[in-house]
Amino acid sequence: MWTRRTFLKTGGLALVTFGAGPAFLARAAAATSGSGGRRRTLVAIFQRGAMDGLMAVPPLGSPELSSLRPRLGMSAARTAGEEAVIDLGVGFGLHPAFAPLAPWFREGQLAIVHAVGSPDPTRSHFDAQDYMEAGTPGRKGTPSGWLNRAVALAPAAASSPFRAMALTPALPRSLYGDAPALAVADLAAFRLQSPGAVAAATSGEGFEALYEATAQRLLRDAGNETFEAAERLRALDVERYRPASGASYPAGPLGKALRQIAQLIKADVGLEVAFAESTGWDTHVQQGTTQGAFARAGRELATAIDAFWTDLGERRADVVLSTMTEFGRTARENGSGGTDHGHGSCLFVLGENAIGGKVHGTFPGLAPESLFEGRDLAVTTDFRSVFAELAAGHLGVADPKALFPGWSGARLPLLRRA
Amino acid sequence: MPAAASTSIHFVRRARLPWRAAGLTERQAAAHLLSRLTFGARPGDVERVLDLGLERWLDRQLAAEWAEPVLAARGRSLAALSLSGPEIARRYPRPALLLAAARRAGIVPAKGKESGTDRRGQRTAALRWAREQGYEAQSELVRELLAWKLWRTVLAENQLAEVLADFWFNHFNVSLTNRQARGYVFAYERDAIRPHALGRFRDLLGATAHHPAMLLYLDNARSTANAGAPTTLALELTRRAPSRFGDANPGRRFGAYARPADLNRKRSSGLNENYGRELLELHTLGVDGGYGQEDVIAVARAFTGWTVVPPFERARGGDRLARLGGRNGHFDEARQGGLGFVRDGDFLFRADAHDAGEKTILGHRWPAGRGIEDGEEVLDLLAEHSKTAERLATKIAARFVADRPPSTLVARLAKTFRDSRGDVRSVVSDLVSSPEFWDPEARSAKIKSPLELAASALRALEASLIEPESTAAEIARMGQSLYAYQAPTGYPDRAQEWVNTGSLLARMNFGLEVAADRVPGVIVDLDRVFGEREPASLAEALRAAAAHLLPERDAEATARLLEPLLAAPGLAARVRKEAPPHPTSGPEDTEADFFAASSSPSPTPSAAGRAEAGSPLAEAVGWILGSPEFQRR
Repeated sequence: MWTRRTFLKTGGLALVTFGAGPAFLARAAAATSGSGGRRRTLVAIFQRGAMDGLMAVPPLGSPELSSLRPRLGMSAARTAGEEAVIDLGVGFGLHPAFAPLAPWFREGQLAIVHAVGSPDPTRSHFDAQDYMEAGTPGRKGTPSGWLNRAVALAPAAASSPFRAMALTPALPRSLYGDAPALAVADLAAFRLQSPGAVAAATSGEGFEALYEATAQRLLRDAGNETFEAAERLRALDVERYRPASGASYPAGPLGKALRQIAQLIKADVGLEVAFAESTGWDTHVQQGTTQGAFARAGRELATAIDAFWTDLGERRADVVLSTMTEFGRTARENGSGGTDHGHGSCLFVLGENAIGGKVHGTFPGLAPESLFEGRDLAVTTDFRSVFAELAAGHLGVADPKALFPGWSGARLPLLRRA
Repeated sequence: MPAAASTSIHFVRRARLPWRAAGLTERQAAAHLLSRLTFGARPGDVERVLDLGLERWLDRQLAAEWAEPVLAARGRSLAALSLSGPEIARRYPRPALLLAAARRAGIVPAKGKESGTDRRGQRTAALRWAREQGYEAQSELVRELLAWKLWRTVLAENQLAEVLADFWFNHFNVSLTNRQARGYVFAYERDAIRPHALGRFRDLLGATAHHPAMLLYLDNARSTANAGAPTTLALELTRRAPSRFGDANPGRRFGAYARPADLNRKRSSGLNENYGRELLELHTLGVDGGYGQEDVIAVARAFTGWTVVPPFERARGGDRLARLGGRNGHFDEARQGGLGFVRDGDFLFRADAHDAGEKTILGHRWPAGRGIEDGEEVLDLLAEHSKTAERLATKIAARFVADRPPSTLVARLAKTFRDSRGDVRSVVSDLVSSPEFWDPEARSAKIKSPLELAASALRALEASLIEPESTAAEIARMGQSLYAYQAPTGYPDRAQEWVNTGSLLARMNFGLEVAADRVPGVIVDLDRVFGEREPASLAEALRAAAAHLLPERDAEATARLLEPLLAAPGLAARVRKEAPPHPTSGPEDTEADFFAASSSPSPTPSAAGRAEAGSPLAEAVGWILGSPEFQRR
């Protein structure tokens, strides 16, 4: 049977493609922007539920924080039996649950941006996530998400079915848009579910033959790419993946997502934007200090990121990871040992070219007159200043303002210029 | 000449559908009509259309006059269906409200005192208590929403009405992802969308504008007059003050209620533009509709005070509203139309929150001192606007003809839309009477949405859909989470949205799964569907399946390409190996959902046997359902 595959293997491209695998990989390899001819990847982790930035990265020695949070206050001084806040040496601490990230900060690969958030004052999770993911605070009708626009604006000419991926069950708002984006929670499930169909497709028959022959171009192209992608993932044998350097991912969706992202990066499938989710941050009740709801969520996040970064090894050179959360929480603790919906929070940017070991942005302080609406950490850095820096500095999006319609702010320098 | 006139009318009616001019046979025309105006042909549908005549079939679909005994029977199993919108809102409260109620009743420990308690036990206790109080978990309402949607899509005789209900919901999109709106989505589709699917656009616009789902989803419920703006209530009190109250300062008598934004003071700090903007950009004129930011603000001001009656008094704002109502009598007067308040079901027009100042919208002036009629007249203006007609003509043509419909067709439909004052029936009737609808280029030009794909497969196989969850999950896996598109744009209606690497694989898998009867909650009996044909060979089975699933299409090419597979030695053995278990996953909630885990029933496994899974016939049907040809309509 004369299929595209046999054409590739026997025809004019035989020299390049015989044994070299799917065509999109050849295209991906031909149009790279990463080091050593590899493609760069931006990994976005959305912390849904609104992380308390003042607990994750507290200002050290702040009398205001101590009085606002008598039950949630933590100290950098070690007291008996208690884990202490890690002193980052720059006037800020790191919650002990985030300890796995501290070495990366000291090595200068982890940057922190504080008092970051949205100019829109909403305290609704839904609205704030929507605005952040669309990249247009105050506007719900924006059809696409900012990460999708980043992919569309990035200079890579070659297409790959794996350019933009969410390792989540459903496509997140961040990836809505015209650039093809994939939501796959489990790479192992990315295959035909019938052994007969798998066997037929791998031999160029069945579905593959049908899609090869259709006159409908979109179906033909997507079909070809689908079979190539499925074959590629099958060859990766995702279930038996062993992380490098003894990296150990935590159980749970975030660890699984980052493990799969690492695998895709190492497999050079052309991944440019990857999206994962972290949950458990809506700590209205019993937020805890060194133990409790916040510490649990923080430990999972930090352990997963540390495992990912360790696992990447030399591929760290091609990757920047950033966290984001819809807003912060009230500066004052509430009556249930928790915090309520607030405004500014903080985020983490990890990369070998990140200007790390530093807390970026302007911390506005916690004096009553400095608090937003008298209750929350004020926002001094628009999240778009950070996202634009990531898209421009790492993915090469030439006009970050096209990324954020209606925005005229400036990038926050977080990445070293190459 | 009366006789000739009647003949000519008859002749005009007969010639309404110009399929002959497009070179189609009558069978092909019937199949095309079914592929575009329904969720897919069932076995025998082509013959039924031919028996009735294409025009008469179309007229009956336009009139939506078929009886629906099957649906009616299914509907009786849905508890929410017989409840009014406000009753639904009260019976299926948001988990957070239910939890708060359980706390107040002492069933669950108070906030901050839960440490060391058994969360699972609490959840069970709270749910039992809630049921005793007449509450149900909101996830149950979502299950009924999906069931009703899928049953109607697959089983309704009045298919065109279903196709249009789907279209209009997407046009006026609201989303389950919004927790405020979630409990209202069922009633929204039933009460605001379906009754008008074949009706008038102005009615759709009005019904959606008043509905709590939309008011909450696009934040109008908390849009109030900016501080300092005169409200309808304040003006009304000033006007009445001397005669009625003999009070020089009515503001003192009414206290805070005469001032704007006194409910939800913390959260609703004045004007919210979201609904106003999307009303212009998405629901009516379109992004290039010739309006500016000042129009957005003026429209938003016109809708200030359009809000929702909180379902529970103890909900935020409910206490104050109750005080404003029953106890001191002011609201009773409001209910009778006094003071400018209007209440209709869960819709509430708050005269104390409406910006009664003068407004200029699209060059038209709205005088000061009015109330709810501001918003109503904005809807009138927008519904009749030529840009709205253009936009809706384009979208309707895209749904029924091609992603990029011919401009001649759009212009003709826009004119019909204007001339008929937004009569959907007239527009659709004109559409089907247009040569562009029958053009060879347009045939099979549309890629089915995941819902259309799933529905057409189930219809073609006459599958029994018992439980909706798994089918809805399959549709979500193919890229269409029903009722959960977060953006107010709704799903884009174009092939690229549905066909990409991830979704295509899911589509093929759906075909294989459903043919092998492996979708839980769905029963497929291929022997019944193909039994009469008794194929003598596998090749014949394949051809029978292709002809059956792809009526009046080039099924031969598909069958020919698949034929070698069936002859391949060892195939039967390969396919009989059990397929890997299907991963189950669903959109994850962003907040802890106290009641979610305990309330969703586990999906029922399909009744018919897995023994048949992997039979060559099932494999053949699966291949055809997953084939490129079946992806198109």
